[in-house]
Parts: sequence; structure tokens; C-alpha cells
Amino acid sequence: MRPFRRKGGDVVARLDPAEAGIIGLLLDQLEQLLQAAEDDVAGDPVLTRLLPDGHRGDPELAADYRELTETSLRSGKADDLATVRATLPPTGGEVRLDPDQAAAWLRSTNDLRLALGTRLEITEETEPPEDVTGEEDQQLVVYYWLTGLQGSLVDALAAGRGGRR
Amino acid sequence: MQTPDTTTVVGADEEHDLDRPWVTIVWNDPVNLMNYVTYVLQELFGYDEPTATTLMLQVHHEGRAIVSSGPKERMEHDTSRLHAYGLWASYQRDS
Repeated sequence: MRPFRRKGGDVVARLDPAEAGIIGLLLDQLEQLLQAAEDDVAGDPVLTRLLPDGHRGDPELAADYRELTETSLRSGKADDLATVRATLPPTGGEVRLDPDQAAAWLRSTNDLRLALGTRLEITEETEPPEDVTGEEDQQLVVYYWLTGLQGSLVDALAAGRGGRR
Repeated sequence: MQTPDTTTVVGADEEHDLDRPWVTIVWNDPVNLMNYVTYVLQELFGYDEPTATTLMLQVHHEGRAIVSSGPKERMEHDTSRLHAYGLWASYQRDS
């Protein structure tokens, strides 16, 4: 991977074939979860994290908030997923994003990290594995790799904002 | 600054009190990156970088920070904009 850098008005990164494949796979999983029938995924901690309660302590307000916002929250995530898929080189290569596409990548990669982080029960004390011995270690490696990718995207976008001043 | 007419201000304040005491809170979570939280707060609320950084650090160290306040409907809206970016947010009446 070559992390995101600013190039003119765009941000540009380069992904290895395996890295592009992993992102594609994670997008599929996220999409399946978001499209799943409500009964099949009720109480799923990842879904709870991605579509959280808007109000704590007042179930009525929380239900009102959900009714008001969940549809647009879900469709925003679906749009972002579609944008990432359309701009992801399936066999690796350059990723070049205009500001709108970059915003979609920013939110989607964050959702992917939230999904992985929730499944892996990441805490602030969690650290990258020193030896990769099992599947959970492999997922941790992916999580930290995505963290690096998203971190570089944030930095590239923040640097662009500084330049606009 | 203009000196307000006292009678209208009292009326306006009373009306405001019914509408105003709501806040949007961002809660600490172990996944969202510090630079990401700062970036999102700037993007959504127009805070300058030092202000957004201060709020982000408050979330990080104290577990939560109030990022906006105003009428209930606007706090619902702010919360949903934060949720769209995956920040852990909620709104409530200011205590």
C-alpha cells in the first residue's frame, strides 16, 4: 500500500491486489449486514454500533429518533458503499478520489473499522499482534492496516483544508 | 453591540427556554481515530482546528464532550449527522 496523499484537488493511494480484495470482501460483509432482515440481525453488536440510539435513557425518544433518521442513515451508508466499490480497483492499483468520493471512503472505511473493532472487542489497550497465530490475529492485522489507510486519508483531507484557507 | 429592548428580550428568552436546553454529546469509543474525530467536528460544525482538537481531547480524556446545543430538533439533526460519520453521539436535555 502507498497511503493517501494529496494531488491537486484529489487524494491518491495505491493498493496491492490482496489489499483491494480485502476491502471488497469487507464491503460485501457490511452490505449483507445492512441489508439483512431485521429479525436475523436483531441485537447484532455491529449493527447496534453502526445505527446507534440517538437518546440514552428515554426509550420513547430513542424510538422517535430511530424512526426519523434510520432510513436516511442506512441509505447514506449504502451510497457510500457503492461509491467505494465503484472507485476501488478490483485487482489493486491506484485509487484516485475527488472530494465527494473521498468523503464516502472516509465514512465507509470508518464503518469497516467500527465493524471489525466491535467484533474483535477492541479496547483502548488493544495492540497490534506481535505474532499472527490465529484467525483473530489476522483480523487484528486487517484492522490495524485499515487504521493506517484511514488515518492517511484523514491527514490528506485535513492538509487540503489547510491549503484552502 | 446593540442594546436590546428589554421587554422583547424577556419574551424571547421565555420562549427560548422551552426550546433551548438540549445538547448533542459525543462519547468516547476505542475505534474512532483522534484525527478523524477532530476532522469530523470541523467538517460538521465549522469549528476551527484548535476548538475541534480541544473537544476531541475532552471526549478522549473525560469520556464525553458537548459539541453543540440548541433546540431539540437541531440536536436530533446534529446527532444524525455525527452518526453518519460513525461517531458515538446522542442528544439530551442539558442537565
